[in-house]
Amino acid sequence: MSFPPSKKTLAAAALALTAALATACSGSGGGGAGGPAAAGKVTIRWSTWGSAEDVALYKAFNDDFMKRHPNIVLKMETVPKYEDYHPKLLTQLTSKTAPDVFFVGDDNIGKFVASGVLTPLNDRLAGPTSKSRPEDFFEGVYGGAKKDGKIYGVPNDTNPEVLWYGKKALQEAGITEDPAELNAAGKWTMAKYLEMNAKLKAAGKAGSIFWNWYGSTYSVIGGFGGKVWDGGRFVATTDPKSREALSTLAKGYADKTFLSADVLPASNGANTQFLRGKAGFYAGGRWMIEVVKKGGDQANYDIVPFPSETGAPMPGAVAASYLALNKDSRTPDEAFTFLTEFVSKEGQLLRLKSGGAVPSIKGAEQVVLEGGYPAHAQTLLDVRDTGFANYPEEVAVPGLTKDINDELMKVWTGKVGFDEGMTKLQALVDGRIG
Amino acid sequence: MGVVTPARPTTGTRPARAAERVRNRDGWWAALFLAPQVLGLLAFLVFPLGFAIVLAFMRWDGLGEKSWVGFDNFAAQLTDPEFGTAVWNTVKLALLTVPVGLTLALLVALALNNVRGKTFYRVVYFLPVVTSSVAVAVMWQVILASGDYGVLNSTLHRWFGVTPPDWLDDPGWVIVAIAVVTIWSSLGLNVVIFLAGLQTIPPSLTEAARIDGAGPVRVLRSVTLPMISPTIFFSTVVAVISSFQAFDQIYVLVNPDHNEGARTIVYQVYDLGFQKFEFGMSSAAALILLALTLIVTFVQFAAQKRLVHYDS
Repeated sequence: MSFPPSKKTLAAAALALTAALATACSGSGGGGAGGPAAAGKVTIRWSTWGSAEDVALYKAFNDDFMKRHPNIVLKMETVPKYEDYHPKLLTQLTSKTAPDVFFVGDDNIGKFVASGVLTPLNDRLAGPTSKSRPEDFFEGVYGGAKKDGKIYGVPNDTNPEVLWYGKKALQEAGITEDPAELNAAGKWTMAKYLEMNAKLKAAGKAGSIFWNWYGSTYSVIGGFGGKVWDGGRFVATTDPKSREALSTLAKGYADKTFLSADVLPASNGANTQFLRGKAGFYAGGRWMIEVVKKGGDQANYDIVPFPSETGAPMPGAVAASYLALNKDSRTPDEAFTFLTEFVSKEGQLLRLKSGGAVPSIKGAEQVVLEGGYPAHAQTLLDVRDTGFANYPEEVAVPGLTKDINDELMKVWTGKVGFDEGMTKLQALVDGRIG
Repeated sequence: MGVVTPARPTTGTRPARAAERVRNRDGWWAALFLAPQVLGLLAFLVFPLGFAIVLAFMRWDGLGEKSWVGFDNFAAQLTDPEFGTAVWNTVKLALLTVPVGLTLALLVALALNNVRGKTFYRVVYFLPVVTSSVAVAVMWQVILASGDYGVLNSTLHRWFGVTPPDWLDDPGWVIVAIAVVTIWSSLGLNVVIFLAGLQTIPPSLTEAARIDGAGPVRVLRSVTLPMISPTIFFSTVVAVISSFQAFDQIYVLVNPDHNEGARTIVYQVYDLGFQKFEFGMSSAAALILLALTLIVTFVQFAAQKRLVHYDS
């Protein structure tokens, strides 16, 4: 037999609900960076994006770390998609509930540095407990994570942008020279590369496939001897060589010499076209190894840096992500212990042994070279050592990189004429940087 | 028969005070019971709405300083071709989904109204409504993919030799594909609502019409539709608002960044706020959407005075 709840019982329930709501809305219950846990243990929250395979590797690192540091409990928070990760992190930082340590992408690091939510790491990295010193990382890879000499994020791994090419596709187009050999001989020029693209086009194939991001676009600009940023100003549309590079890209996209991977149909996307030999070159990083493995003919593919104007080596674009320490962390010492071990040589060797990235730290090169694949795997390290992450001027403005890519995409797809597109792009960047 | 004389109060003020005490006590109880709802409303509706309105007049990247920009964000959005595209796509989606979706739902409801096993069919039609919108989008992605990879296109090509468009990649067709998915996933809800409306029609009315010689079409036109016009009106208002707020399935089904045919106003709001971190601009776009929704709803309410019958 049941009785209806009394008015007092209902009132108590209402009061409890009100209290719970008030607590939830105050943001003080359970949120915020980690802190002391039970039995003298400290909980460190850290967040990242990544696929299931990435997460499995990170979990292995976590388990290993917690065995070595029994006083630290790691709580990993993951978001599958890169695009969804930063909005969540931003919301957490705004509401003071962000993890102690977190990944930041190279296109977002500048914003977080400028807003003062990250801890400068120079002293800690140079300190006695550090497992990864500032000079262990290549200068160009710091990108927007370094400002006025202060390091706000440590590159946790990199992905240098190179050109993958299919030997059979090139041969079918009547190309007898091997790009990697030309590069070794100092003859890998932009003119030669464009000549190969023209032959591929004449053979009914696409020359190259690019993703619409700074790595490809700025590498082509570099190959023409142009500049993107100069003295704090965006000069990609005004510098004659840069403009020529962008114009060449626009014409190439228009006549299908170049394909934009972003707009290819999912069912016949960039990977499929490249593996079927429908395109000669495909710009990508070490992650492409997994793609060509699926093709079943790994020996058919090799890599070469983006060509330069003269054939001499030039700095290439390097995609990077950073590990940063939350300024509001209540346990910064333990958080730093995790951070420095994660990006250390040992940490990267453990994480990247089957991953598709290139270590950001000196001394872990064997991860890239030991499999002997691709044949010119050293190219990935060469580009990393001399390359650059996205320009600090660009990443300091929230969303600017995406704006630039969106504007360029209108030109690549012919929605906006080249001259009009360049004018709009310049106005957009000038407006955003103020 | 005796006369009942009301008992005289012993003093003039005591009952009034007692009544006031009861009223006060009831007031406190009422406040206590209402508190969770009011607090929730303030925290999750009033405050965010107020904050969004204020943000629409500011420039803010989510972390740095906020600066007052007046109506600049509204002006920027209203002159931005991308926003114009988003508005046009949203209107097209509403024009496709509302009339077609509601007509289909009405036809299904009419067909089910008198069949045996109505509950079974109601459950079947309602299943997509309770299915995760992400799962629905992924399923339709498999169906609508282009070339040999899509179930629909490969079947059409193999059986009929036709080459259908790339539903999800062609900017001209993608809104049609989205409309199909939207109609499919919302059909069950509208069917259930219409069925409920149909069951409120007194059988005597249709019987009387039939006795007077009305055929099925005349009964539908002169009895059924007028009788369920309040239900149709309700469903129309809800369907228009839903189509204006379309986002989740579009986000999973296609990437509007690379296919401008799929960019809707809510995607524009998301893109500005959470991809470009322009929260002021994003709030302005959201407020324009709110204004648009209010205007359309107001027009619908004005029209219902002539078209909707509330007499039983």
